[in-house]
Amino acid sequence: MLELKSSLLYSFHLIFHPFDGFWDLKHEKRGSMKGALFILFLVTLTYILQRQFTGFIFNYNQLNQLNIFLEIISVVVPFLLWCISNWCLTTLMDGEGSFSDIVITTAYALVPIVIINLPMILFSNFIVIEEQAFYFFFNSLAVVWSAALIVLGTMTVHQYSMMKTIITCILIIVGMGLIVFIFLLFFSLAQQMFGYFITIYRELTFRL
Amino acid sequence: MVRKSKYILSAVLMLLLLSGTVSAAAPYHSYTYSYWGEPVPAPYSYLPSEVIDGRSLGIESFRSPEDMFVSSSGKVYILDSGNNRIVVLDSEFKLTNIIDSFNDGDSFLNPGGIFVTEAENIYVADTGNNRIIELDGNGDYIRELGAPESDIIPDSFVYYPNKLVVDRAGRIYVIAQNVNQGIMELSNTGEFQAYIGATLARFNVTDLIWRQFSTDEQRQRLKLFLPTEYNNIALDDRGFMYTTTSALNVYDIIGAVNQRSRWDYCAPVRKINPSGTGIMRRMGSFPPVGDVKINLKGSIDGHSTFTDVAYGGDGIYSVLDSKRGRVFTYDYDGNLMHIFGGIGNSEGTFRTPVALDYLDQRILVLDNGLNRITVFDITEYGSMLTEAISLHYRGLYDESLQVWQELIKYNVNLDIVHVGLGKAYMDQDEFRLAMKHFKLGHEREYYSKAFKLYREQVIDRYFGLFVLLVLLVIFLLMKAKRYIINSQRAEVNR
Repeated sequence: MLELKSSLLYSFHLIFHPFDGFWDLKHEKRGSMKGALFILFLVTLTYILQRQFTGFIFNYNQLNQLNIFLEIISVVVPFLLWCISNWCLTTLMDGEGSFSDIVITTAYALVPIVIINLPMILFSNFIVIEEQAFYFFFNSLAVVWSAALIVLGTMTVHQYSMMKTIITCILIIVGMGLIVFIFLLFFSLAQQMFGYFITIYRELTFRL
Repeated sequence: MVRKSKYILSAVLMLLLLSGTVSAAAPYHSYTYSYWGEPVPAPYSYLPSEVIDGRSLGIESFRSPEDMFVSSSGKVYILDSGNNRIVVLDSEFKLTNIIDSFNDGDSFLNPGGIFVTEAENIYVADTGNNRIIELDGNGDYIRELGAPESDIIPDSFVYYPNKLVVDRAGRIYVIAQNVNQGIMELSNTGEFQAYIGATLARFNVTDLIWRQFSTDEQRQRLKLFLPTEYNNIALDDRGFMYTTTSALNVYDIIGAVNQRSRWDYCAPVRKINPSGTGIMRRMGSFPPVGDVKINLKGSIDGHSTFTDVAYGGDGIYSVLDSKRGRVFTYDYDGNLMHIFGGIGNSEGTFRTPVALDYLDQRILVLDNGLNRITVFDITEYGSMLTEAISLHYRGLYDESLQVWQELIKYNVNLDIVHVGLGKAYMDQDEFRLAMKHFKLGHEREYYSKAFKLYREQVIDRYFGLFVLLVLLVIFLLMKAKRYIINSQRAEVNR
């Protein structure tokens, strides 16, 4: 428990000092898988709360139609896709990070989203349209900050140069698309095959 | 035992009686669209009361009548195109006149449109004879206006005037067949002035990219980005024109609905000022396009096909969808008020409705397929809604409050009722209630206004407490920061 606490508190140091932070995260074992999963849980929670409880003025969701499983999936699946695609590519491209390094780095890089957006949910309930600039500024700050941390984290964990990191990141996103495509293809084919055998079975039962 | 069964019997009878009054309703469903584009039930706002055809008037039946106009004095002019005549009724729908010839034996040939000025002068777009005819109130010939001449009209142009309106200054606005440059504006002497208010053509990006890569031959085969033609026109009490067009792409309409578009692009109904600029307000949940949720397959598919528009006073206008036989009514802000009508053969439905107009509160729909006019009377709910919106339009929020409060008992599904109620409450400084109703009406802008005022109220009342709270939060934050720093330091020291 104490270990989890200290590894979570470390994230506050990390988001302000990313270069040292990510290095120590990996080599000094300052982060942990437990901490990473907890952060992922917090990010998901933030996303769900944001969708549900953002003030009416900024909330364009049909609240009675929100599906918590879809909400969870829309955070966890992109996260996993990023990690898997990242691992697949960097293994081929001489990256030094292991899969668990990648998961931990990516999760810790998402901490700004939690610490900025959670208060923003509350804040959005007290502001009016004229003050929306603040709201959108902080929201975009969270995204930009996290994106920058993800890039820096990838760079540190794999020991890449900046240029190589950026190219890798673009390739990772392409890779994510490919994985989704292959899965869709697989499920579509599986469905067809399943349907084929079901038809044969039906045909047989009708004849026998 | 006997008594008990008596009770049951009377209860059943009561139920039957009640259901009888309810189902005295129309052969169509009354509905409206929610903020999320789902059709939701609504009380009936208009019910059919009377059907007028040739037989009920004691004359030869109508033959594919194309247009109808209710003059400001309440006379109903029916342009019975197949019979090449005008049938004039008074406001009680009694026959007063039939005009089938003028100017010593001249007559119409498949006329398409009719307009009657305040001085009761009749203008007819005599389509088959390529001219416009002006008659006086008794049907006596005044003048004839042939094809307009101008440098910008090619010699090959064949003039088929279809619909027309005449403004107070006597200028004539003509919609002619196969003209997509807009409305032809003629001076009061009939000379061509200009084309005004062409629909805004929109190209899509993929077509534009294709065009870059195609050969000249292919390019010619690609469809041109042309503005669409108008098919009808109406004039409001201030001289603004409402126009309809049906030649739009269904995907453009769906796009406009999905974006909740407020622009004039791909708009099946437009309001234009005399210089041709589109000035329609589209502040509703969806732009005025008729049905919002449409199917792309089936026997009746695609978007609503508007064929006529009529102005009902205080910014309210109705459009007629000939595809599904429905009349859609919108307020000055473009909010959907109510929908009625349908396709069928019974009283209150149509085969091919072509024209509609207001006679006071009543709405008359001319059916070209069934050769008859259906008169719709406004219900209690409908007149209340109209009254509330009219009061609101004139800025009489205090007076409208009571009507809105009554309306909400009839229909909680209509966003404009909530918004109207919210504005009325806001006028009375009831910000909390106003916020509640703006939220229910999905009106974020006004919610924000009400909330701002409410927030000021609260801060004024609890300012001392508020300052204390802010100080407390700052104190706690500092404490938390120190705690984090300390525990990190402890971590490092360990």
